[in-house]
Amino acid sequence: MGATLARAAVHHAPPQGFIRKYVFSVDHKVIGIQYTTLSLVAAFVGMALSWAMRIHLAWPDARIPLLSLLSPNGMPGGVMTPEYYLSLMTMHGTIMAFFVLTAAPMAGYGNFMLPIQVGAADMAFPRLNMASFWVTFVGFVLACATFIIPDGPPLSGWTAYPPLSAVGPAAGPGQGWGQNLWGLSIALFCVASLLGALNFIVTTLELRTKGMTLSRLPISTWAWFINAGVSLLAFAVLLPTCLLLVLDRLGGTSFFIPGGLVFNDQLQPHAGGSPLLFQHLFWFFGHPEVYIIILPAFGIVSHILPTFIRKPLVGGWKVITFAMAAVGTLSFVVWGHHMFVSGMSPYMAMVFSVPTLFITIPSVIAVLIWVFSLYRSNLRFDTPLLFSLGFLSLFITGGIGGFFLAQPSTDSYLHATTFVVGHFHFTMGLSAIFATFAGFYYWYPKMFGRMLSEKLGKVHFWLSFVGVYCVFMTMHLTGFAGAVRRYSAFVDDFMVPLIPTNRFISVAALLLGAAQFIFLFNAIWSRFKGPKAADNPWGATTLEWDTTSPPPFDNFGGRQMTVCHGPMEYDGEAAVMQTSPESSVAGT
Amino acid sequence: MSSNRELTMSSYVGIGVGLMLIVGIEVILTYQHLPTRTLLFSLLCLASLEGFVAIMYLMHVKYERPILFWTIFPATLFVLLLLCYLWPDAIRMATMRLLK
Amino acid sequence: MDQSSVAATTHHDVVMEPSPYAIEKKKLGMWVFIVSDACTFGAFLFAYGYMRVGAPVWGTPFEFSSILNGVVMTAVLLSSSLTMLASVRAAQAGAKASAMKWLGVTMLLGGIFAALHLREWFKLIGEGWRLFHNPTGGAAQFGATFFSVTGLHLSHVVSGVIALAFIARGYQRDRYDASHVETVGLYWHFVDLVWMFVFPLMYLMNAR
Repeated sequence: MGATLARAAVHHAPPQGFIRKYVFSVDHKVIGIQYTTLSLVAAFVGMALSWAMRIHLAWPDARIPLLSLLSPNGMPGGVMTPEYYLSLMTMHGTIMAFFVLTAAPMAGYGNFMLPIQVGAADMAFPRLNMASFWVTFVGFVLACATFIIPDGPPLSGWTAYPPLSAVGPAAGPGQGWGQNLWGLSIALFCVASLLGALNFIVTTLELRTKGMTLSRLPISTWAWFINAGVSLLAFAVLLPTCLLLVLDRLGGTSFFIPGGLVFNDQLQPHAGGSPLLFQHLFWFFGHPEVYIIILPAFGIVSHILPTFIRKPLVGGWKVITFAMAAVGTLSFVVWGHHMFVSGMSPYMAMVFSVPTLFITIPSVIAVLIWVFSLYRSNLRFDTPLLFSLGFLSLFITGGIGGFFLAQPSTDSYLHATTFVVGHFHFTMGLSAIFATFAGFYYWYPKMFGRMLSEKLGKVHFWLSFVGVYCVFMTMHLTGFAGAVRRYSAFVDDFMVPLIPTNRFISVAALLLGAAQFIFLFNAIWSRFKGPKAADNPWGATTLEWDTTSPPPFDNFGGRQMTVCHGPMEYDGEAAVMQTSPESSVAGT
Repeated sequence: MSSNRELTMSSYVGIGVGLMLIVGIEVILTYQHLPTRTLLFSLLCLASLEGFVAIMYLMHVKYERPILFWTIFPATLFVLLLLCYLWPDAIRMATMRLLK
Repeated sequence: MDQSSVAATTHHDVVMEPSPYAIEKKKLGMWVFIVSDACTFGAFLFAYGYMRVGAPVWGTPFEFSSILNGVVMTAVLLSSSLTMLASVRAAQAGAKASAMKWLGVTMLLGGIFAALHLREWFKLIGEGWRLFHNPTGGAAQFGATFFSVTGLHLSHVVSGVIALAFIARGYQRDRYDASHVETVGLYWHFVDLVWMFVFPLMYLMNAR
């Protein structure tokens, strides 16, 4: 069936006035920048929390005056209490996992780039898109609000396991309004993510321009599309989980709270619930969540690599896309590997362990595609490529650690040690961050019309890369030695020899954090003083590079975009734009 | 824009009557003193039948392109079937309880 | 390709790839939403099942009057689905007045469902049922699961009636067309579909 004439998504004229243009905007480009900015702020908040944690771990008696201003109860005299350490850890995880890693590569770049990459003028539902952002924003405000309420943030971890998270204030500081605000924040984030996923799916299926068949979609678009499907199903289950937790807390129900519990000498008036039910429902979301975080990273790196290696990925679009789809689908059947020591049925442990090993196959296929594509290519070592290679390194390293955790036998020892912390920071945290940085350096010229400083970018990369290994590789070692995660101090005899190693990690972490200010400076300074960017500074092929930097209001200035080629037609210096010469800006 | 013209309104009323008949069968079964598991299984089968008819006819999926069915249905069923992984732990809660 | 098919109007019509589903984007959007909502209801129902299987004594307290009430509610909701269908058909045929009439009947039937439901809730609450209390001495989770599942469904019915009102008003004023009526109709049928599972699982399984 041939292309059909259809009414474009956008019928309204460009907005006037500051509020309509930059605040309550329905333009996907503005919304994408809003999400990216939110994530950037959240990243620095999350990092600051981790610095406070690391300072306390290395020097337990250290005084942190700023924090004692924020929470006199949690930091009496500037010295951190163990409970406040747990609160910081909880919010570090929550803010980083949700508001940075889930938001930036998907909602941030996806919102900006997906409509342009498919040749549309906007997302399918622009007002829903705006609503999604502002709901996320309110969620973030609520999460930050937990710091300024008297009782402080919750201390139950980003995983918020009941009964601790469900019984209310009796469980400790932050478990009153802190946990309620947390629950509300996450519930709002769920709703925003569901609506965002809906938008991505419908846009990719319905708003592709003439000639943009599914086989010509850029790999990043495929990644966002597959990710939207995974997000839709996963967040749909997290939402009721949060609601049931709130009912336990505020409605007196006992979904997750067993009988006979005594907290702080208070017998809890609940009975008959199952904490395991929460874990099942949470991890049903929680495992796909880590793939929701990494799939856009896969897409961004798969999109960037061909530009800088000047050749297509091995296997073309099909193999990498099928690998991503397989990863996304399999991500739903492995959640129990987070519950091997929870008291879950050991037969279910087997049922979850086997696909956990299988899910490595599509991941490894993807990694091999990227690695083999590098072979015999002319690498242009610009910053986006450096961060993409860094992503590869971090993902492979983290993935190797995963083998030890995938099997109940070895996991029994390693569960809840810093080995796990090192593992997920590599695979989920920092590799996604590196891919996000790669995307930032790659798409910044398009988004803001200016080039970032290459020199500062390279310094940022090397400091971050070395720093990440120093911090998180060492955590694997301390984890083998038995260092328990979520502990605020190394008091047990066998852990005392680890204190110098711990100090090394903390110093490296602070230096790693400092390096990020180079990036922040670069991003802000270049916005105003950077050299102006051309339409296609990297010599890439996809539709976003066939329009001005930044793009006009309707993305293409009224042109009928017609696509004739696939997204990866690179051959050394030559690159064939996806768009036909008649519709191209550069064409006659 | 798809058309509902494939069936007449009276056919839809007939489908509605059929669905209420299934509800009637469900109610009758409820009072047959069946073992809990049998009753649950039968009710789920009948409800699934009702649901399938509702999706195909009331929600018009039968007259859409097959790919709509094959996208929506398997995805939803996938999640619902996976949630069945919860049953072993529910059964353990019942059978391994310390205090009865 | 066919440059003449590109209109250079302010409405910016463009040539696009056809959708694999051949349906309008708002209808596809509604289907995607329905999938997510089905998974949400599914998770709630599984939590109910988990609690029920794991509870030592669940209790089956619903007298026949409650079951009969449930059957009436089912009939009301099913009829409202049929009247919704009538409205969509009328809208697609261009019979605006008829479509508005059937939309009104659908909203009324939805309201009756909600009223019957609330009446039953108040009766149960009067007997001592709470989210955390079972007056018959069985599992306290009965109240928790019953009120949360039926409450979630009731909230969907009420929002559905409100949505129907919005669409009716817009359709009356020619801001919306038959496709909007069809899209909201899909949501309404979904709400009926969920009830087809909630009624047997929450009522019939708990009949005395």
